[in-house]
Amino acid sequence: MSARALMSVALGAAAVGGLAWLGTVLSPFHLRVGLSIFLSAGMAIGWYILGGFARYYSFGHTVFVGVGAFAAALTLQTWRFDGWVLQVATGVGAAMAASAVLAAVIALPILRLRGHYFTIAMLAVALVCAEAASAFPVFRGSIGLTLPDVAPPSVRPERFFYWMSLGAVTLAVAVAALIARARLGYGLFAIREDEDAAQMLGVPTTRCKVLAFLASGTITGLMGALYALNLGYITTDSVFRGALSLDMIVNSLVGGMGSLFGPLVGAVVMTLLTKVMLGDFLEYHLAITGLIVVAIVFLAPDGLLGLAEKAWRRVRGGNAGGGADPR
Amino acid sequence: MLQTIVNGLLYGGTLSVAAVGFSLIFGVMNVINLAHGVFVVGGAYAALALWTGLRLDPILALVPIMAGGFVVGAAYQRFVIGPAVRRGSPVAALLVTFGLSLVVVNGLTIVYSSAVRNVSPAYAFFSVRIGDVTIDAVRAIAFVTALVLIAALALFLRTTVWGRMIRATAQSELAARLCGVDARRVYALTFGVGSAFAAGSGVLIGMIMPFTPAEEVQWTVYAFVVVVLGGVGSPAGAMLGGLLLGLAATLTQTYVGPVYTNVVMFMILLAMLLVRPNGILGSAFRASR
Repeated sequence: MSARALMSVALGAAAVGGLAWLGTVLSPFHLRVGLSIFLSAGMAIGWYILGGFARYYSFGHTVFVGVGAFAAALTLQTWRFDGWVLQVATGVGAAMAASAVLAAVIALPILRLRGHYFTIAMLAVALVCAEAASAFPVFRGSIGLTLPDVAPPSVRPERFFYWMSLGAVTLAVAVAALIARARLGYGLFAIREDEDAAQMLGVPTTRCKVLAFLASGTITGLMGALYALNLGYITTDSVFRGALSLDMIVNSLVGGMGSLFGPLVGAVVMTLLTKVMLGDFLEYHLAITGLIVVAIVFLAPDGLLGLAEKAWRRVRGGNAGGGADPR
Repeated sequence: MLQTIVNGLLYGGTLSVAAVGFSLIFGVMNVINLAHGVFVVGGAYAALALWTGLRLDPILALVPIMAGGFVVGAAYQRFVIGPAVRRGSPVAALLVTFGLSLVVVNGLTIVYSSAVRNVSPAYAFFSVRIGDVTIDAVRAIAFVTALVLIAALALFLRTTVWGRMIRATAQSELAARLCGVDARRVYALTFGVGSAFAAGSGVLIGMIMPFTPAEEVQWTVYAFVVVVLGGVGSPAGAMLGGLLLGLAATLTQTYVGPVYTNVVMFMILLAMLLVRPNGILGSAFRASR
């Protein structure tokens, strides 16, 4: 491991340690804010493994949140264990397994599609699964499912889920960072730049895409299970929600699609902005998110991190570079 | 059975009009307009407003609503989509259309609430019996209007100068520009026509079935399914795709169960994308990559 990698691991560990310590001192309200930041950051990272690394924009990633949530709820209702470790392990394990299976089943056919076609096909997959969860009585999606309260009695539930989701985000970032540094990551970056050229140069494009899709779906499913456990009660509409897919994309876009920090920064900024500062305008939530998307595309196509980088280069003198496409 | 087929075809006509504008925009500009459903739902609410406000019959209201759709669509292309495509990528344009559709839906929900609405003119409750088949007057009128609209669009594309320019730009923007076509105006025109047809289909939908603001996603996806089924860019493809999809939807509803309608429709979409993404009448233009 190079010195730089060691350094980033150490910094990351310190950041996680700091956040975990914050969990012991924050008020319940702030714990809940932190929890929703972690959940949306984790989902955004999950989306980013496919959307950011390979530029395969999925508009239906909420399908993995939904499948994860339903898998966790259904297994926890079927098998009742004692002790939170076993309960969380079965719920989360079932969610990850179910998402991985779904991803494996649809990966080969759906990843043959590119660009717009992939985007819309994922939207359709999400709609099909949502309809199925409502239509088939086994899933009880239209009535709703109750999840057991897994938090141990000695810990406040919001504190428990704060730590749980912090752990999940850490895992997600670690997996994504490992992928980015591995052969798989370079394969995905090559696909992002030019898939045909990558294939001609011997990059196993299909294998790369399928593996990324599996990782992406499994992580999103894991976040879905935690989301459901925290809510305690889910219906089709609450977990198969277009707004969740949108949030993953918007968070990555707002932060910037350049590095893994993008979705993290985006999740922090957007959660604080829409849930905390604009909490009184819930009616206008969708409109505000929509306007932010439009503004980002026009004003900061490289996201907040892109803007910051440009400003930094300008401060240091030298050419800001990049800039708008001259077309 | 016959009744189901007739209902399916009547419904399919409306689906065709709803999809033809999407198909045109996709075929000519390679932009997926995720705000398409917003124009459809917007047309339905405009018809509702004209009906409750001025007692204007929905069929007559088609004229001002389609004109309005044209103006809004052309301006939308000129000031929003065009700059987005130039600055970023088609995906940026996709995101912009998505963002704006959220804004409009949120606005409609605030103004009209998310309650289910419909437009029912006086003839909404008439029906005609031919043999064993009952045909609702309002559905028949909507179907005939749909046929007329699509035929008009096909004629426009085939015979007029502007139609030829649109088709030329769709085949190759560069070659069209070398021949003196102003591609930017063609794009604005295409978007305007596409949006006008979306708004017009909204009026027809408002006449034959109830609607809510949130349904726009469904109409965008339906338009996409129709286009993928029939083939991108041609009125005939949209017509065929719409009729087939209408049939599939009604048959599923009657013989399998209403909850499976969307599942079957999206399965058709996925199957088509995998087997033949160009569509049945697929002259795929450059969008087929």
